[in-house]
Amino acid sequence: MRKTILIPTDFTVTSLNTLKAVLNNNPSDTTLDIILLHGITSSDSIRDLLFFSKMKQIESLSSDEFEEAYEVLCNKFDSQINSFKIDLFSGYNQAAFNSYIKTNKIEKIFISNGKQKLSNRKSFDLGRFIRKSPVEVITINTDKTSTITEKGEITEVFLKQVSIG
Amino acid sequence: MKKQSRIILLFLVPFLIVIFLFSIFIYFTVSDYSEDYLFKLLEARANKVAKERFEGQKNLIDTEDPDKLPHERDFFIPINNKKSFFEESKEVGIHERFFTDVIKRGEAQFVTKDYLYKGIKYKTNKGDYIVITVAENYFEINQAENLIKTLLFAIAAAFLLLLYIALYFSKNIFKPISAITEKVKEISSENLHLRLNEDNANEELYELSSTFNDMLDRIETSFETQNNFISNASHELRTPLTAIIGETDVVLSKPRQTNEYIESLKIILQEAEKLDNKTKALLFLAQTGFNGKTQKFEKIRIDQLLWDVKENLDILNSKNRIHLDMELLPENPLKLKVSGNTQLLHLAFSNIISNGCKYSNYDHVTVSIGASDDNVYIVIKDKGIGIPENEIKYIYDPFFRASNTKNYEGYGIGLPLTRNIIRMHNGKLLVTSIENQGTTVQITLPSIKSVN
Repeated sequence: MRKTILIPTDFTVTSLNTLKAVLNNNPSDTTLDIILLHGITSSDSIRDLLFFSKMKQIESLSSDEFEEAYEVLCNKFDSQINSFKIDLFSGYNQAAFNSYIKTNKIEKIFISNGKQKLSNRKSFDLGRFIRKSPVEVITINTDKTSTITEKGEITEVFLKQVSIG
Repeated sequence: MKKQSRIILLFLVPFLIVIFLFSIFIYFTVSDYSEDYLFKLLEARANKVAKERFEGQKNLIDTEDPDKLPHERDFFIPINNKKSFFEESKEVGIHERFFTDVIKRGEAQFVTKDYLYKGIKYKTNKGDYIVITVAENYFEINQAENLIKTLLFAIAAAFLLLLYIALYFSKNIFKPISAITEKVKEISSENLHLRLNEDNANEELYELSSTFNDMLDRIETSFETQNNFISNASHELRTPLTAIIGETDVVLSKPRQTNEYIESLKIILQEAEKLDNKTKALLFLAQTGFNGKTQKFEKIRIDQLLWDVKENLDILNSKNRIHLDMELLPENPLKLKVSGNTQLLHLAFSNIISNGCKYSNYDHVTVSIGASDDNVYIVIKDKGIGIPENEIKYIYDPFFRASNTKNYEGYGIGLPLTRNIIRMHNGKLLVTSIENQGTTVQITLPSIKSVN
């Protein structure tokens, strides 16, 4: 069985714990197409649009730790992951989000109950679109007791306990 | 001074060469242009004079013509299939070939130092004539000297100006540099606390002096570390020795029973063993600290190594509770392979894990393994006493022991040794800790690139 799922991300290692929980609880006969989605408003300037490159923007938003951490996860669940991509969503309204979901054939959305940490000024929380979206939304409880010193390090993805609730 | 004059010379010579070439260029351009201009005038004159003469608009040529050029003379020589212009050439004062050139090409020009000659072929109904106009070489006589003088004066003025600028520059450019040199000379191992002044007036020099200062910072720290190391090492080595000496002194003070001897010899042996352990650890530290010796590197699977370490530590102390967490173990085992020396890595991981056990009073220690495409991650987490926040920067100093470790045995060599080993493997060691809550050690080792 093949399923496409969407997880909102803020490019922090903490946000990958949602992905970890999803993969941990995924039945082994299902392979997943995973989309990590980040909400960011695109620039109005014609110059920025002219030289816009999604890859470059994603690169500037993510960090080495984030990349290494998702590689660790992807390596662990290699056989369950069919495809993995990080995408940007820059729509303004619900209809745009719904059509994004439709075109990408997304069946499920997993969100964490923790608050997103948006480092970029133009980023926005996808939560309000997700809650009103037509597909199934599953909330994941992330453990908040983890010590703060490991914030941002890959260690976080190793140690955090998460559960689907 | 030598440096200064070299700078002046470096500054002046190219400028002078450029200016000199410029002057030569200007001279020749001007002279060429004015000669050209004069020849054009001469041609016009020749045409006009010939017209006047042959078409009879004016009879008297000798009367003052307002258009006449300075020192102008005009010659009219008929061409009647003459073979030689010997006489004419003598009269005009130029070579015979000039005449043949005029006949052949319709015109010719000739320059001497004082005169310019222009000859044209002029057709009349009486036959063809050679009309030659001669005029003073106006530029050569009146202007050349002036131009040369001007140029020479300009060169001289530029030279003086440049000399002044070069002097000024060489003095002022080197002033801060020599100040830095002086200051750096002052700094020696005795007064490493001295620093250069960092005035940010001059960007490059500011960078230079701040780089110097950074280097001094590093040197000072390493000096201090070394000093500490020596005092700590001697102290550490002396403690068992003092115990041995004291014990022997006491025993030798009077004859004793056999079991008393046995007792004290046991104590001596114990202390000597401690001493032996310390020197061994020191030796290891020294060996791994230098890159001179090359260790044999082989392909190692990290999970296997960690199982070995766990087994080993469990045998050494049955109270250890080490939990190997394989939750994020990659599906592809090739990603867990690193290139390294088994003994050294074994030692490094044993150190970290046994530390975790020791300082958490044999509580659970979790060892997690994971791998990205380029690196292998090993995370070791304990719930022990942790490291006080302000002491975490000293943990890699040999013999440093945190203030809360009084109740635990140890020499303070394990962590620096581990760091050296991880460094040898191009890895990274990251220690985060909260006092009384636990310590997390994250080790990153580059994995062998899987060959596709």
